[in-house]
Amino acid sequence: MNADERRSNWKSLLRFETLLIAVLMIEWFVFARTGTNFATQGNLLEILKFSVEIGLLALGMTPVILTGGIDLSVGSLLGLCAVCFGKLWRDAGLAWPVAAGLTLCIGALAGGLNALLITRLRLPPLIVTLGSFSLFRGLAEALTQGVDNFTSFPSDFLAYGQGYYGVIPAQVPVFAVAAVAVWLLVHRTTFGRSFRAIGFAPEGARYAGLPVERRLALAYVLSGTVAALAALIYVARVGQAKADAGTGYELLAITAVVLGGTSIFGGIGTVQGTLLGVATLAVLKNGLQLSDQPSELAGILTGALLLVVLTGEAAAKKFSARRIRSAILPAKPNSTT
Amino acid sequence: MSKEIRNPNPDKKHGPTDSDFGLRASFGLRNSAFGFLSRHFRELSVAVALCVLLLVLAAAAPAFFGKQQLLTTLTTAAPVLIAACGMTLVIICRQIDISIGSQFAVCSVIAGLMAKAGWPMPVVALGVVASGALMGSFNGMCVAALGLPSIVVTLATMVTWREALRWWREGEFVKYLPKGFQWFGFNQAAGQAMILAGAALVFVLLVLAMKHLAAGRFVYAVGSDKEAARLAGIHPQGVTFGVFVVMGALTGLAALLNAIRFADIDPKTGTGLELQTIAAVVVGGVAISGGRGHLWGTLAGVLLLSCIAPALVFLKMPAQWEKVIQGAIILLAVAADGWRSRRNGKRR
Repeated sequence: MNADERRSNWKSLLRFETLLIAVLMIEWFVFARTGTNFATQGNLLEILKFSVEIGLLALGMTPVILTGGIDLSVGSLLGLCAVCFGKLWRDAGLAWPVAAGLTLCIGALAGGLNALLITRLRLPPLIVTLGSFSLFRGLAEALTQGVDNFTSFPSDFLAYGQGYYGVIPAQVPVFAVAAVAVWLLVHRTTFGRSFRAIGFAPEGARYAGLPVERRLALAYVLSGTVAALAALIYVARVGQAKADAGTGYELLAITAVVLGGTSIFGGIGTVQGTLLGVATLAVLKNGLQLSDQPSELAGILTGALLLVVLTGEAAAKKFSARRIRSAILPAKPNSTT
Repeated sequence: MSKEIRNPNPDKKHGPTDSDFGLRASFGLRNSAFGFLSRHFRELSVAVALCVLLLVLAAAAPAFFGKQQLLTTLTTAAPVLIAACGMTLVIICRQIDISIGSQFAVCSVIAGLMAKAGWPMPVVALGVVASGALMGSFNGMCVAALGLPSIVVTLATMVTWREALRWWREGEFVKYLPKGFQWFGFNQAAGQAMILAGAALVFVLLVLAMKHLAAGRFVYAVGSDKEAARLAGIHPQGVTFGVFVVMGALTGLAALLNAIRFADIDPKTGTGLELQTIAAVVVGGVAISGGRGHLWGTLAGVLLLSCIAPALVFLKMPAQWEKVIQGAIILLAVAADGWRSRRNGKRR
């Protein structure tokens, strides 16, 4: 085994996912001691159940951030889709599967609006989705006049958010399918490769012959559709659809994605990292709750964790860049000062 | 250690007036009316939109221009304007700060507690501005010294400050403030005048500083091209740090001027302020990619967006449409930009 090989082994161990798994294990170890009923099968499944919506949003956000973009509108879109679903089911009198299908279409359309502005007019995603963040939430409030609340959904719909298959919460299989699908898309298809290529260098991707606009549009439409799916699961779990559903979820999703090692500048990141990020946040929240700690501590620790992890990554990058530079340029001229 | 060549063309002497960092229009129309129009297209179009809105209001609901109503609208907008000025600097410097809503809340509570502790108002004001600057300097340190992306750093500090405040105060209002706190102890009219004067003073000072002080030009330089700015002898890290400190200090001031309007202080205040100010700045034509934009545009953006809510009330439209209209204005403004740059791109 030569030195290069050893170094690459060492490096693959130092990957971001390993760091996150270590954090998760520390969390698990601490909370198993301090929390009542933390390390039980039931609680594990509860954590899963409550992280499905954020997890879905984070899954949809991953391709977007991989392309170097961002989607601030998903939380608002969740609210809008929840309200639309309620309207379609109660006021338009549609059967709930039809209403659910139409809601997914609305999510895709809303994502398409973002995509249209970003790709056709070449506008910065941060600004476009900031605008649609306001627009979608506003539409949700306008549709309900700010007060309307949709309740008493049919029980076979609610079963998707409150029911169990044996011990497994009903929404977990949906989440698993979505996770596998996004993983396949990002890691096993040319689409995923082109997301990264665009994130690294949009112009370079264009010169390489990639249809940059269409790939970007796909990422945003996917994010919108997934937000609609999250809205359906949210409504099924909570049993009501109000205009303020999902407020602040976009930031939680972004936090999870960034914590999962995806670079906010695009080009670098994995779906399994995102899933670990979601798990880290969910376990932290649940563990603190069961340890009788104030819920605010979860927020503070989330922020701190984000900063620490990023600083560590930045320091590691600086370190490795210096090593690469010293490897490429071994002999420095000593004559000049 | 090899030294970098800082001046690739040593024969040419660079005078201080050789570069204005590309702000001069290159087609020689700088002094003509058309040049002014085309350079300030965005600021002017927002101002025109504002005028149209005001004219519609004048025709349909003259009560909007009643003295008390107008004063209320403007005093509500004044703190937003101060924060938006800071945000303008941050965005021109090609950074972003989404933690100001939380900073605003923390500063408001600190203002109330200091006043309750019996400190005189000038000391309270200084203390609030200083605590804002301190929080801003933390962001600045992470962004400038550690090189972390500002959107993630401020996302983290946003959550941290907000939750820390909730933990500390448990959602409790700051009540029973001393008499000298609300409106600085004057009557309402004088207090409102002071808020407006404070905002106007900050705005004018910043406009002058951005145009005439070297530090102001440095912000533009670092925002347009960090590396070029470094080669020109500017310290980009220092400028970035400074911009975040100014942002924090202005947030503190905005929080104080907002807090003195009420009899007690809500710890949840300032939620969504970051998006409100970013929206105003963007509508005002400041490029999110840094290096371009004017404070005048921000002023027009703030005024336009803060007129919508009262306008809806006076036009007897449901208030729930406010966010829809805000979002539509943001999207329209940036879409107009996109169309314009595409057309210009084709012509060239």
